Amino acid sequence: MGEEEQKEEEEEKKPKAEFKFPPDETGLGIISAVIAVIIVILPGTWVPAVIKAIGVIFALLWGADSVRKTSKYGLGTGVPSIGVLAMGYGIIGALLGIAFVKFAEPMGPFSSVAALGGVLLMAVVGYISGVFSNHEKIIAMKIPGLERGMMELGMAGSIAMLLQFSIVAGSLSFDKVLSTAIGTGAIALMFVLSMMAMFHPYNACLGPDEKRPRTLVTSVEISGLLCLILGIVLAATATPVWGLGGVVDGVILIAFSGIVWLVFYVKFVKECMRESDSVVGTGLIRTIE
Amino acid sequence: MPIEAVAMLFAWMLVIVFLALIACMFEDLESDTGSQSNPNSQVQLAAQVGQVHRFFNKAISGEAPAYAMYCTTAGVIAYVLLLKGIHPLLAIPIGAAVGEAFHVIFATTAHIGRTAGSKRFEQPLYLDVLYGHLLPIATHGFMAVLCIVSIAYIQSNLGTLSGMSGLNHPFALPMLAFIWGITVGAIGSSTGDIHYGTEREFQDRPFGEGRRVVYHGKITRYAECGIRTQKDIVGFCVKYGGPCTGLTFGLIILFENWRTLVGMKLGGFLPDLQAINGDMAAILGIVIGIVIGIVLIMGNVTLVKWARKRYGPFVGE
Repeated sequence: MGEEEQKEEEEEKKPKAEFKFPPDETGLGIISAVIAVIIVILPGTWVPAVIKAIGVIFALLWGADSVRKTSKYGLGTGVPSIGVLAMGYGIIGALLGIAFVKFAEPMGPFSSVAALGGVLLMAVVGYISGVFSNHEKIIAMKIPGLERGMMELGMAGSIAMLLQFSIVAGSLSFDKVLSTAIGTGAIALMFVLSMMAMFHPYNACLGPDEKRPRTLVTSVEISGLLCLILGIVLAATATPVWGLGGVVDGVILIAFSGIVWLVFYVKFVKECMRESDSVVGTGLIRTIE
Repeated sequence: MPIEAVAMLFAWMLVIVFLALIACMFEDLESDTGSQSNPNSQVQLAAQVGQVHRFFNKAISGEAPAYAMYCTTAGVIAYVLLLKGIHPLLAIPIGAAVGEAFHVIFATTAHIGRTAGSKRFEQPLYLDVLYGHLLPIATHGFMAVLCIVSIAYIQSNLGTLSGMSGLNHPFALPMLAFIWGITVGAIGSSTGDIHYGTEREFQDRPFGEGRRVVYHGKITRYAECGIRTQKDIVGFCVKYGGPCTGLTFGLIILFENWRTLVGMKLGGFLPDLQAINGDMAAILGIVIGIVIGIVLIMGNVTLVKWARKRYGPFVGE
C-alpha cells in the first residue's frame, strides 16, 4: 500500500493543471500576507467592510494553501484537525491582538498596528509547536515543512480573525469587539466558518488527482459565504445607517460576498465536472480489475 | 416564588430532552444519507480498489465540526432575526433553512470535489446520485438543526420562559447553538452506526465481524435488490440506529438536567434562588449524578455479559 501511494504521488506531479493559480505556494503566501496585514494596519474606522472582507479572503486563502501543503504528506484524517488548530491559534492571537490595541489606543489613530503583536506571537507559538511535533525526542512526526506550515497557520488564522472582528465591530477597539463580536456569539460563527474555509478545500478535493487551483477556488468560495453572514450580522447590528460600519456598509458587503460566492462556486463546479473521469446522468456500476 | 415556576422549569427541561431526541435521531440519519458517518472511509476506499459505486461522498470534516457549522449559521441568522423583533416561531425555521442551504453547498463541493479527485480510478460523477441525495440531506439536516436552534433558544431564555429571570443562560444564542452542534455531531458520530464496516452485509456471522478491510469497499455496491445507494442505508438505519442515537442523546440531556434540577430543589436553591443554598444544591446534584452513573455502568455490564453469553465469543474469520 505504501509503495502504491508513493507511485501515485509521483504520478501526481506529471500532469499539469489546466488553469493555473498564478503564484506558487511561497508567492501566494507573501502576497496574501502583505495584503491582509496592510488592511489590518489601516485604522478600522477608515476602511469599508468590503476591503476588510478582501483581506479575510486572502488570509484564509493563505491558510488553506498552508493546510494543503502540510496535509499533503499523508495526514488523511488530520486535515480537519489542522484547520481547527489554525483557528485555535487564530482566536488566541486575535484576542491578544485586540488586548495590545487597548494598550496602544492612546497613541493615535494607527493603534491597530499593535494587533500585529498578537499575530507575531502566534507565529512564534506555531513555529515552536511545529518544532516540538517534528523533533525526534518529543513527538517525532517528521512531517517536512511542518514548522513553516504551523507558523503560517497561526499567522493566517490570527489575521483572518482580527479582520473579522474589525468587520463586525467596525474597529479593533477592545470593548467594542467584546460587546459586538464576542458577546453576541458571532465569534462562534467566525471560528467555525474560518476553519471550514481553511480545511474544507483540501478535505473536499482530497484524492490522488487533487489539483491546487481547484482546491484554492473552494477556499475563496467558502470565504464568500463567511463574509455574507458577517455582512448580515453587520447590517443587522449596526446603529448608523450610512457611513463606514453602518447598515449600508453591511448591505454592500452582502452583495459583494454573494457575488464572490456565486462566481467561485460556479467555477468550482464547472472545473470538477470537467476534470472528473466522466459525468453521466445515471448509469450502472462496474468493477475495474 | 410560586411552585408553578419550578414545575415550568422541569417542563421546559423535558421539552429540551424531547427536542434533543429528535435532533440526534435526524442527525444520525442525515449522516447516513451523506455517508459522513456510516460507510465513510469505505466510500473513499471502494473506488480505489476498483469498486465503482453510486454513493454520495459527503466529506465535510467530521460530524462534530460540520454540525457546529450548520447550527452556528442557523443560530446567528435566528439571533439576528430575533434582534429585529421577529417572532421565534418564524426566526428559528428561517435560521435553520439558511443553515441547511450552507449544508447543501458544502455537500455539493465535497461530493464533486472528491469524485474529481479520484479521476484515475474511473469513478464517474453520477448526476442522479448528486441531485437525488441533496434533498434528503437537506431535509434530515433541517430537522436536526431546527431542534438544536430551538434548544439553544429555550436555554438562552429559560429564565424568562419559566418565570425565574435569574436562570437565563449567560451565553448568546449562537454560542449555545455552536456548543450543542458539536455535541449532537459527536454523539451522532459515535452512536447508532449499525451499518458501519461489515455489520450489514455479513450479519449472519456472530457479531457481524471477521472481514478484512479490503472487502469493506464491497458494502458500497449491492443492496438486497439492485445497486445500493445511501437511501437504502437510511431505510435500514431508521428502524434502530437513528432512534437509538436519539435516545442516547436524549437520555444524556435528561439525566444531566434532571440531576441538576433535583439537586437544586433538594438543596433548597430552586424556588428562591438564594446563593447561600447553592453549595448544597451542587453537592446533591453531583451525588445524584454519581448514583445514576453507577447504575448505568452496572446495567451496561449486565447487558454485555448477557449478549456474550447469548451470541458466543468473538471467533475471527
